[in-house]
Amino acid sequence: MKQIVELTINGDPQSLAVEGHRSLLDTLREEAGLTGTKKGCDVGDCGACTVIVDGQPVNACLMLAVEAQGRNVETVEGMQQSIDILHPLQDAFMRHGASQCGFCTPGILMMARKLIEENPDPSDDEIRFGLSGNICRCTGYTKIFDAVRSAAAEIRAVRAQEETV
Amino acid sequence: MRRFAYHEPKTLEEASRLLVDLGENAHVLAGGTDLFVEIRERLRDVSDVVNIKNIPGMTDITWDPAVGLTFGALVTARQLETLPGVQRTYPNFAEALRLLASIQVRNRATVVGNLCRASPSADTIPPLIADGAIIHIYTPKGMRRMPLAEFFTGPGRTRLERGDIATGIVIPAPAPDSGRIYLKHGRRKAMELATVGVAVSLDRDGDTCTNARIALGAVGPTVLRASAAEALLKGRKITDELIAQVGAQAMAECTPISNVRASAEYRRSMVGVLTRRAVKTAMEATQ
Amino acid sequence: MNKPANNLRNAFSTIGKSVKREDVIEKVTGEGVYVADLKPVGMLYGKIKRSEVAHARIKRIDVSKALAYPGVKAVLTHEDVPRVLHYGSPHPRSVSCTKDQYILDDKVRYWGEGVAAVAAISEEIADEALDLIEVEYEELPAVFTPEEAMKPGAPQIHEVGPGGNLVLDPVRVERGDVDKGFAEADFVLEGEFSGGRPMPGYMEPNVCLADWDGSGKLTFWTSTQSSFMVRGILAEVLGLPRTKVRVLVDHMGGGFGAKQDCFQHEFLCALLARETRKPVRMEFTRCETFLAGRSRHPFKLWLKQGFRKDGTITARDMRIVFDSGAYGSHSPGVTTVGTNSATSLYRCENVRLDGRAVYTNTPIAGAFRGYGVVQTYYALDIQMDEAAERLGMDPADLKLKNAVREGDIAPSGHAIVGHGLEACIEHGTRVFDWKGLRQGARCPDPAASHVRKGWGLGCEMHGSSAYPGIKEQGNALIKVNEDGSVTLMTGAAGLGTGAHTALAQIAAEELNMPFESVSVVHGDTDAVPWDIGAFASHTTYLVGSATRMAAAEARAGILRRAAEKLQTTADALDMVDGRIFLRASPDSGLTVAEAMGPTPGIPSANILGRGTYEPTKSYSFAAHFVEVTVDTETGLVTVDRVVPVHDVGKVIHPIAAAGQIEGGIQQGIGHTLTEDYIIDTETGRSLNAGLVDYKMPLSMDMPDIDTVILEAAPDPGGPWGAKGVGEDPIIAIGPAIANAIHDAIGVRFHHYPITPEDILNALNEKERQS
Ligand SMILES: Cc1cc2nc3c(=O)[nH]c(=O)nc-3n(C[C@@H](O)[C@@H](O)[C@H](O)COP(=O)(O)OP(=O)(O)OC[C@H]3O[C@@H](n4cnc5c(N)ncnc54)[C@H](O)[C@@H]3O)c2cc1C
Ligand code: FES
Ligand code: FES
Repeated sequence: MKQIVELTINGDPQSLAVEGHRSLLDTLREEAGLTGTKKGCDVGDCGACTVIVDGQPVNACLMLAVEAQGRNVETVEGMQQSIDILHPLQDAFMRHGASQCGFCTPGILMMARKLIEENPDPSDDEIRFGLSGNICRCTGYTKIFDAVRSAAAEIRAVRAQEETV
Repeated sequence: MRRFAYHEPKTLEEASRLLVDLGENAHVLAGGTDLFVEIRERLRDVSDVVNIKNIPGMTDITWDPAVGLTFGALVTARQLETLPGVQRTYPNFAEALRLLASIQVRNRATVVGNLCRASPSADTIPPLIADGAIIHIYTPKGMRRMPLAEFFTGPGRTRLERGDIATGIVIPAPAPDSGRIYLKHGRRKAMELATVGVAVSLDRDGDTCTNARIALGAVGPTVLRASAAEALLKGRKITDELIAQVGAQAMAECTPISNVRASAEYRRSMVGVLTRRAVKTAMEATQ
Repeated sequence: MNKPANNLRNAFSTIGKSVKREDVIEKVTGEGVYVADLKPVGMLYGKIKRSEVAHARIKRIDVSKALAYPGVKAVLTHEDVPRVLHYGSPHPRSVSCTKDQYILDDKVRYWGEGVAAVAAISEEIADEALDLIEVEYEELPAVFTPEEAMKPGAPQIHEVGPGGNLVLDPVRVERGDVDKGFAEADFVLEGEFSGGRPMPGYMEPNVCLADWDGSGKLTFWTSTQSSFMVRGILAEVLGLPRTKVRVLVDHMGGGFGAKQDCFQHEFLCALLARETRKPVRMEFTRCETFLAGRSRHPFKLWLKQGFRKDGTITARDMRIVFDSGAYGSHSPGVTTVGTNSATSLYRCENVRLDGRAVYTNTPIAGAFRGYGVVQTYYALDIQMDEAAERLGMDPADLKLKNAVREGDIAPSGHAIVGHGLEACIEHGTRVFDWKGLRQGARCPDPAASHVRKGWGLGCEMHGSSAYPGIKEQGNALIKVNEDGSVTLMTGAAGLGTGAHTALAQIAAEELNMPFESVSVVHGDTDAVPWDIGAFASHTTYLVGSATRMAAAEARAGILRRAAEKLQTTADALDMVDGRIFLRASPDSGLTVAEAMGPTPGIPSANILGRGTYEPTKSYSFAAHFVEVTVDTETGLVTVDRVVPVHDVGKVIHPIAAAGQIEGGIQQGIGHTLTEDYIIDTETGRSLNAGLVDYKMPLSMDMPDIDTVILEAAPDPGGPWGAKGVGEDPIIAIGPAIANAIHDAIGVRFHHYPITPEDILNALNEKERQS
């Protein structure tokens, strides 16, 4: 039996008719047409499905859509500041070669965004710890760490500039 | 995922009644980080899922120097992990939380769910047993409480009966001069289920150990207390020889099995290594 | 058509620079379309019922309950599908394939093999319906290791093949006089080596989507590295002309070689779609990527080498047995390449090699980065380390002394052009401070005497093509548009390596036009030229060369067209950075757009450049230097630092090349220390088909990697000398780690993965002996 779930996705209020057993991941991908969030395992092991719910990164595969009732869900599709301005992390991922096949990328971007928001100047160990639930099998992580460091520095610089203005 | 019916009771009574009425394939849903994995991997037949997250009164975390730390069944691992008070007062528990799965999982996973799943390798069980935690349970006949050490009856099995819901945990306040350590052994630094987990909580008087509790994870059907090893420590001055004896005793007390993660022999020798390291560090730790 | 000469140019405009990868914009915004993201109207979901026995005849299979289950639209068993014996690895021009599989058979040959397929209106219903299919098996005796499978009287897994459970006739190589070589040796080393079953572990589970139109044409989206192979084999098995099968793939989430086969589920998905007249999508669970994916070949190897006191190798005798699993897949190629690789790396004139691949009732081994060479060079390099120890020499010196040189006969049988290995070893020794570190203490902290450090070196070489095993061909088409932009059409897959960007760079460089003016069309077998598939580290080398030829032809066309407009001859013109001008007066000229576009009386031009390249072989080289820490109480090994030094001839995109190297190192660390897909040798069951117990190194486990890329030995066959880099890193890292562990604790390991238990057992054994 389907029930109506009302939630906010990337700032837009949505109401979706879903069955009680459907995961948030399948609902985003199959019902809401937001296929940027990926399914690499469906059991919490890979982090490809990481989305941010009410400010906290979670595995969308381990949450039911009905549990998102009344909540605020953010996915990779909402990361850009505007149609033609990428988030500094997205830009850094491109420049540093942090995305090869790209399958892990949306999940890692969401996780990294949260990491930098909480900790604008993360150490290498903090970056590694923050991304330990996200598997990337292509890059060996080195370029991902480079990109996160570089985006964090850029965001700090912009912020410092804003404060002096 | 297999299909199931979803329920959202608003009270403990309602949830409990649903669980009784719906029968053995109805299960409590807290964070879902075990439940959904078991459904997907077809380890569990589930007809009904009873989400307890809309039941009020199980989200509080309180600290009282006389009572200790109290938290409700819906408190997530990540909430506790990031509390400075927990890191300071219960570094063993904080370490177990830090090493449990990933941040994403810990944002959903509840500690009480980790206990109710009753996996012999669950990370939060050894430090909570070593610290003498008490679990609170709603039963159709009224509230119950029991020491966590008595809660587990086998792998995946607890004293919870149909219609019972665990509502929270109390971890007693540590004695003034005490050291508490949790060491987890796995082949990766994260996203590992413990091959062996050892928790040691010691009360001290100078370099004498006045009281000791040792809990061993992933080396028996439930997390085990190494009581003979504890007895060796009690009232004794800690020396390297004693530490070696305690390690050997803990090895003798565990009952590991061999599986894809490690052999029984290896697990047993890790109990020795980790117990020695944990006792040593717990004696040195200043808290 | 001639290949453009590698004219020495000291300044490049595009290649050698880490330009922005256009395909990555879509990856970071979430817009890139992977096959599982597609959901055409009316789509059904396909699922596969898998066997729970390892070897059996299917006596009865009853699907009536599943068919009657509400929401189920079709169920297929071996009784319903075409029975055509076919290849698993459909390289069309390979000499050595084995036709040994049916879409579904009345026999199952390993635990996890598909026995039936269901299409239903939802994934959940399809999944539930699987339980309603009743299969009655007559179990057959099974064999789970090559040893058992090769015993006389062992149960035969296939009716085809040379018999004795061999996938192909043994591969035998003999050069020089081995017996004479051993007679001349001052000492002989002999050892047995073995390796587990590493998996590629790509993040995107296999997925495909099939849709038939009214004219009987199949459109087939699939996550594959070789879309034309999939087209070919689907067409053959389903009895269709190539024009009735269109294979599409845009983004794919990794493959690492293993997504080269045409898989059982791909046929079943196409057939379910035909049966139901609806689009059907079939997506593996993570567990299925283990059961039905392709692993590296487990192996057993025996190696004996003779050495002179000065470190010269006088003879090499090697036998290797690869475990192919239940089907042949890439075993012919892996056996040929792996066995032959032992002729080289370290020079030896007298060589005798014997390589075999054996069927067992276990999951299928296939193509995977390093293709048979991971196994042989693991043994070869470790034994060199042992020889150095015996000789009292620094292993780096011994490896340098014996490193393959220009003109040596390569594994492929032809003389090697260029020799980057010496440069890699020499350079790495310096930047890693090899000599300095190895003089340091193995036990840096006396208070923690159980913590030991060690340093190791591992070397490798690898061909940037599959020649001569497969006669490859690279193709490219370049279309110049009327606004001066350029479209490159290639069949090469974009499995995440950045290959399309490299190809666009090569086109822009040869055209001498801005990189931004080139766009790439790929992944549609109806639109792009035929391609053999993305494997054997050959895309940049092979398709890159073809692209360069096509670009040269297009450039000539543009200049001819400009000459027409300027009323001069093409040879009077030059084009730099997209601007065409008279050599005699460089200041006046026109843009490509002006040349191509219409002007009164002259319609716009239609220029097409074509390139077809048939390579021989080039070799890339690498030396990996690693530092490890070993906890001698727990047996845990951490890799602290890696300095990989690679010779790639000419680097096209430095960041992409480094990314390949670092990713290969991650996989190689996993294979050597933690990763092993374990099959129960009693029942054939998979014991760790998931990401918790199949342990790939994650962010906290990865060492610091300081990648060094050299352009020591450009290959005349590649564009501006470029060679491949995709496979090399995974080969060198393994022996480097094993050698470093030995350096730390004085114990030799001849197998992977080296588990903490292995370390403790070996240390205990060592203690007992001393
Ligand atoms: C990727 C991944 C990695 C993991 N790694 C680790 C690890 O390293 N260490 C570790 O210990 N665990 C690990 N886990 C498991 C861990 O996440 C869970 O044990 C978690 O703590 C369970 O809490 P939950 O709230 O998600 O429980 P749920 O999944 O909701 O429930 C778990 C079980 O307890 C029952 N239950 C839950 N709450 C109650 C209650 N209040 N009263 C009665 N019954 C209840 C449920 O019915 C169910 O049977 C991992 C899980 C995942 C997905
Ligand atoms: S898909 Fe959710 S963690 Fe892998
Ligand atoms: S880029 Fe392929 S998995 Fe990370």
